[in-house]
Amino acid sequence: MEIINNLYLGFSVALSPYTLMLAVIGCFIGTIVGALPGLGPSNGVAILIPITFTMGLDATASLVLLTAVYYGAMYGGRISSILLNIPGDEPAMMTTLDGYPMAKNGRAGDALVISGVASFVGALLATLALAIVAPSLARVAYLFGPAEYFALYLLAFCTLGGVASKNQAKAAFASCVGLGIAMIGVDHTTGMTRYTGGNLHLMDGIDFLVAIVGLFAVSEVFFFIESHGKDSSLGVKLGKVTIPWKDIFHTRWTMLRSSIVGFLAGVLPGAGASLGSFLTYMMEKSIAGKREEFGTGVAKGVAAPEAGNNAAAGGALVPMLTLGVPGSGTTAVLLAVLMTLNITPGPTLFADRPDVVWGLIASLIIANFVLLFMNVPMIKVFVRILQVPPAILLPGVTMVSFVGIYSLTGSYFDLLLMTVFGIVGYVFRKLDIPTVPVILGILLGANMENNLRRAMVLSDGDWTYLFSSGIAITLWVAAIAGFLAPFFVRNFLKKPSRPSDAQ
Amino acid sequence: MKLSDRLFGLIATIGALAYGAGALGIQTSFMSDPVGSKTFPLMIATVAFLCGIVMMLKPDDEPEWPVARSIGALIICAAVLVGYAYALKPGGFLVPTALASGILSFQISGKPKLAVITGVSLSVGLFVLFKFVLGLSLFGLPRWLMG
Amino acid sequence: MTSKIHTLLASAAFAVISTASFATECIAPANPGGGWDFTCRQIGKILYDIGQVPNPVQVTNMAGGGGGLAYNHVVSERNTDNDLIVAASQATATRLAQNAFAGMTADQVRFVGAIGADPGVIVVGKDSPFQNLNDMVNAIKADPGSVAFAGGSAAGGFDHLKVLMILKETGFTDIRKVKYIGVDGGADAITQTVGNFTQGMTGDMSEIVGFLKSGEVRALAVLTEERVPGFEDIPTAKEQGIDVVAVNWRGLYVPKGISDADFEAWGNKIKAVAESQEWKDAMAANGLAPFTKVGGDFQSWVDGVIADTVVLSKEIGVIQ
Repeated sequence: MEIINNLYLGFSVALSPYTLMLAVIGCFIGTIVGALPGLGPSNGVAILIPITFTMGLDATASLVLLTAVYYGAMYGGRISSILLNIPGDEPAMMTTLDGYPMAKNGRAGDALVISGVASFVGALLATLALAIVAPSLARVAYLFGPAEYFALYLLAFCTLGGVASKNQAKAAFASCVGLGIAMIGVDHTTGMTRYTGGNLHLMDGIDFLVAIVGLFAVSEVFFFIESHGKDSSLGVKLGKVTIPWKDIFHTRWTMLRSSIVGFLAGVLPGAGASLGSFLTYMMEKSIAGKREEFGTGVAKGVAAPEAGNNAAAGGALVPMLTLGVPGSGTTAVLLAVLMTLNITPGPTLFADRPDVVWGLIASLIIANFVLLFMNVPMIKVFVRILQVPPAILLPGVTMVSFVGIYSLTGSYFDLLLMTVFGIVGYVFRKLDIPTVPVILGILLGANMENNLRRAMVLSDGDWTYLFSSGIAITLWVAAIAGFLAPFFVRNFLKKPSRPSDAQ
Repeated sequence: MKLSDRLFGLIATIGALAYGAGALGIQTSFMSDPVGSKTFPLMIATVAFLCGIVMMLKPDDEPEWPVARSIGALIICAAVLVGYAYALKPGGFLVPTALASGILSFQISGKPKLAVITGVSLSVGLFVLFKFVLGLSLFGLPRWLMG
Repeated sequence: MTSKIHTLLASAAFAVISTASFATECIAPANPGGGWDFTCRQIGKILYDIGQVPNPVQVTNMAGGGGGLAYNHVVSERNTDNDLIVAASQATATRLAQNAFAGMTADQVRFVGAIGADPGVIVVGKDSPFQNLNDMVNAIKADPGSVAFAGGSAAGGFDHLKVLMILKETGFTDIRKVKYIGVDGGADAITQTVGNFTQGMTGDMSEIVGFLKSGEVRALAVLTEERVPGFEDIPTAKEQGIDVVAVNWRGLYVPKGISDADFEAWGNKIKAVAESQEWKDAMAANGLAPFTKVGGDFQSWVDGVIADTVVLSKEIGVIQ
């Protein structure tokens, strides 16, 4: 059994005391970040990236830490959904629908435990599925030449753009902004600079870490200043926490079904965890029909979205690791980390760096157990941390981001850029322009252009080379379908409005 | 009115035109490939231009913009961050960090006492964390003070 | 509460004192993780371990402009700092030759020593019709469009130049017709070659070690004076009648304004690192071959490399 051997390799990497400690720290920070309203997994990972570098962590250790934060944030998101009726992050939105009513009915503890177990089931099953599915995808490495890669990147933009916003034009514009920024710096093919205005700071282009921290962390600070941090007080008291065995048993099929659907939603590039939790909630609601009153605080209503969004988080790692194409905002951030560590995710990753891949998978499994422990018996610790006023927390987050980036590049210029990205992020989010495609553009823009140009070098400028293989044609068709589909299914898939706005 | 989207669409189209004009001015070397340095930026500019037009013609509903006082707070906050970027190297870590985080804290809560405590403790606490736990090369005070 | 504040104050005071004592600094002109960072961290660690410097070496990452930002910093702000070393490699020399550092020139710093090198290689897929380097050269001479190369550097970069140097040496002059695609690193270049999207791969020895072992590629030639220890079955280009030597050296430069005595002292320290067992182990683990040149020797060798690169770059039109 190859997979057993691989997992053995993974655990031998991940079970060192040092990496275990990092996993625990990551889970802890992640749960906090997830629980804090506004800060989600992508913020959490973005803030920690510079710190992992300055700590001098190697590739496996950084990945363990950051994915623990990622999974931790996926768990943590439900805490504020249930207690405050404010989703800690976007995927936790659906959890408010039944979680908050449950808490108001005096069952806050039950809701937290059920959703914690559901998160565990979803994330664990998804991680196992990742271990089984990903290696078989990895064998396609030698089938991908420049033309196929170009089509693949196009697919990523078309699908992620399609789902990330209600407005195709805005998503496409955001992609263009990212792609446009990616053009800054030395043109790889000719060695000449573009759009630098002669500024040495811009010769290497704009670092995507600066953009990520600016767009995700700094813009969040602006939002808090606008609201003067009023979203902070706990609405619900949390009494003694007991384990509602009956409810957990009652929701077993819900958790299983939701894990599968969530995983599949995560694998699709661009769909991600929000879609995962949305689909699973709707699915369970229609299966239960009128027998159970979804929306009034039923156990299935918290189990389904939590299993769904955590499974989607695992699923989103599949395209990121095997194709180098992120399936969600957070995996886009993780992709940036890998690229900075000189690891090129893609079909060759499983052959080149089995230690990294299997170490990562093993540590995800470990992180899940750690998270189950933290999120069920130790849940009260996190509830208390939710009470830290934003006026202390947010300046702290900002300073950590700034010093992290500063220590990485030692350049005031990057700090200025980061502030600019923070302002841009604020304006974009106000106008409902998604920021994830911007990151995706900065990350993949240079690759996309270079592959186009390589393809043309190889074919002596013959454009039909782009459609010369079955894989390329399939990807082109999928890309066009991915871009057009939202026009037709938008009414069907309309995003539910934030419950907090509805009241 | 849906003014925001129309205005932003206009800015986007102008930006796209400027970007395209910039692309035409890119220097190329002798050794060029069939695609060249200008094609891809021009493609981006074209798509962005079209998006800007669509935003102007089919705007979404108006977002909730902050009131004037909040906008003022946001501008102050952005200015503080810019100032912090410039001050960090010559001014050392401690003083600029205390000032910047204190002002940010005040902008969020409006409580001066809490802001002072937050600023000072974040500055010292983070310095200890970064310098000694994480081992970054930070200078606590301006270099000229330390000879 | 008060005791907490006292501890904080005490550590803050300690901070002021500890930063006042200056250690030797090594600037890695890139983000952590790359070759320059490796050079700084390894050399810095060994310098301290073998007692060549009194304090642990402080590594600073200063990414930007392909090393240009750090170069500018050293030239304009640290010109007389005799406790500063900066990581460099063949890429630094290539960029200086191609005027990629915004007008700054190689004579604004002193190249003090190289302590290892990654030998250049030319590689084909295992089913390739080419059995040796001359087969490949002849095929290109017959039809330049029939052989495309993939390499880890940008067009005009060192991997590209290796191919062009070989072809020039064999009398092929139409070098702008040679197809080359620059991809992201050696592993990618090999994948493209194994997938038969390109017919040849040009890169460094360290990049191909794994693929050679798995038998997916064959190396046609290594671009060194002699065969590389551990890879004795790979012939050099020289013994196939094509006298081209191209290695990606790893080394250091120091500011221009330091005294000759300081310059010599650094050369000797670097030599001591090169001779240490610790460095030999590090080289073996990272696919580097021994390549030690220090002091004035190294400076004149770098000058020669840069002059050659200028000539070649002008021919292919990277610079005018």
